[in-house]
Amino acid sequence: MPPERSAATANHEILAVKGLNVSYGASKVLFDVGLSVRPREIVACVGRNGAGKSTLLKTIAGFLKPDSGSIRSGQTSLAGLKSYEIARMGIKYVPQDKKVFSDLTVRENLELGSYASKDYDWERITGYFPKLKQLMDRKGGYLSGGERQMLMIGRALLGRPQALLVDEPAEGLAPSIVSHLREVLRELSAHTALVLVEQNLPLVCAIASRVYALKEGRVVAELADRESIRPDVCERYL
Amino acid sequence: MCVSGISSDTGVSMVNALRWWWGILLAFSLLAAARLVAPLPFVIEVIIFSIYTMGCNFLLGRVGFISFGQPAYLAAGAYGTAFYLFYFGTDPYVGILVGVLSGLAVSAIVGPLFVRLRSDYFALVNLALAGIIYYLMQKVLAGITKGDNGLWFLTRIASNPVLDLGKPGQFFIFAMLVAVAVWALYKYLDDSIFGACCLATKLNEDKLEFIGYSNYRVRLLAFVVANTTTALAGAMYAVYLGFVSPEITSPHRAPDPVVVTILGGTGTLYGPIVGAVAYTGMKDAISKVIGNWELFIGFLLVFIMLAGEKGIWGSLAPRLEKLFSWRKAGTAGGDGGEARR
Repeated sequence: MPPERSAATANHEILAVKGLNVSYGASKVLFDVGLSVRPREIVACVGRNGAGKSTLLKTIAGFLKPDSGSIRSGQTSLAGLKSYEIARMGIKYVPQDKKVFSDLTVRENLELGSYASKDYDWERITGYFPKLKQLMDRKGGYLSGGERQMLMIGRALLGRPQALLVDEPAEGLAPSIVSHLREVLRELSAHTALVLVEQNLPLVCAIASRVYALKEGRVVAELADRESIRPDVCERYL
Repeated sequence: MCVSGISSDTGVSMVNALRWWWGILLAFSLLAAARLVAPLPFVIEVIIFSIYTMGCNFLLGRVGFISFGQPAYLAAGAYGTAFYLFYFGTDPYVGILVGVLSGLAVSAIVGPLFVRLRSDYFALVNLALAGIIYYLMQKVLAGITKGDNGLWFLTRIASNPVLDLGKPGQFFIFAMLVAVAVWALYKYLDDSIFGACCLATKLNEDKLEFIGYSNYRVRLLAFVVANTTTALAGAMYAVYLGFVSPEITSPHRAPDPVVVTILGGTGTLYGPIVGAVAYTGMKDAISKVIGNWELFIGFLLVFIMLAGEKGIWGSLAPRLEKLFSWRKAGTAGGDGGEARR
């Protein structure tokens, strides 16, 4: 196990974001955003389109450079690290667009994940997503939205990440797939901390242990107890 | 590439491997047989051109980099070999090795700068490099390159009891062996995790990083491998002709490997061979009967590109596979499938 990964123990926050400011050119998108993720937590970020939820995940994943603020995993600062270095530390990002490598088969997509993480335990992945087993030789470009989502999450799970950043996992998926995904995410949280960006409030409220409401780039509420994590409460902040 | 327990069984893998080797042996046997009906210089040029194109094909088809500067790396190989054979030694094998190492060095020096660029800038900066090397060899370093007169060293090439590269017939055998080895290398790369990484960086570079790979490193390694192959072709040209001049890196020859790659079928394993046969054949046949043959070939290429953007092999392969039922039901096909044929 790399030293960075062992740094985040049960006593540490797996992710601690403080005073994060991010801009796209001259346009500022995040203002002093803070967020905390502990082991086995499911943390959700909710908010309307343009609230800065995806920007927050992309910044944690190293895809965007913050103007200021800190992002730490255990004792390690993630600021300034490249996205592949952050992924190797066990903080994996699953983007929103559900675009897998279309010319590669499911098997090849998983092999890429396996080789990078040195984790070849595919039984665990197909345990979560049995359908992938039947699709091994199908090219990514021919998968449905739900199958792509399974593949992307499954590939990200290789290497047993300490945190999974999942951007809008339920977007555009059929209700039956969303309910399967909900159960998988719940199971995953036993081993991996999850940060979800999601607009599907029933899904969020069913599984999240902490919710951050973002509005116009600012955290306007943090709901940390199960009593207050309800769709009607979350909706008030949107 | 099969690293999981949920992979095809060994029997199928062996059949696939045999099928690939059968294919390439057939292709090179046809080239060998062509020697009986076609002039030897023509067949040798096709073989060296196909090696020249394999690097370009890998860059364009696998990594998504179009390079109009391949003559620069061809020249690095050719001049590396020429300097050795003209000034230092007589062993053509050592000369070729020096040429390959020269190409490796040039790629490793410029690669870290070039692979950071977007594909369009990458194409132009490589073209600029070809121009720089042309000018260096023609003017600035004329004292050692002999300028436009070039370096002549055919008579200095030592004979070898096993394969005498000074004799065209034996050089032909050597060129065939090298071409099969280079083809096998690219087949191996295509089937490896590295090949998948190259294709992934072409398809979506950000997502490759999210999995944990450095795009920069993947591209740099692909760049160095491809251009070292190009340098190998340059070194072989040098030994075969016994002569190198700045003309080898002339910018007006820059599109040649790109044209041959696209003509043969970008990203396909057989494309470089098919493209080299078609291009060299057209050039050879048409120039015998038409004075302004470049103009005619230009129009013909435009027509071929418009008729089938997948190139000759890219268009033929699906039909052949259907005919011989080569493909296993339910696998591959469709978009980009040609990248693995």
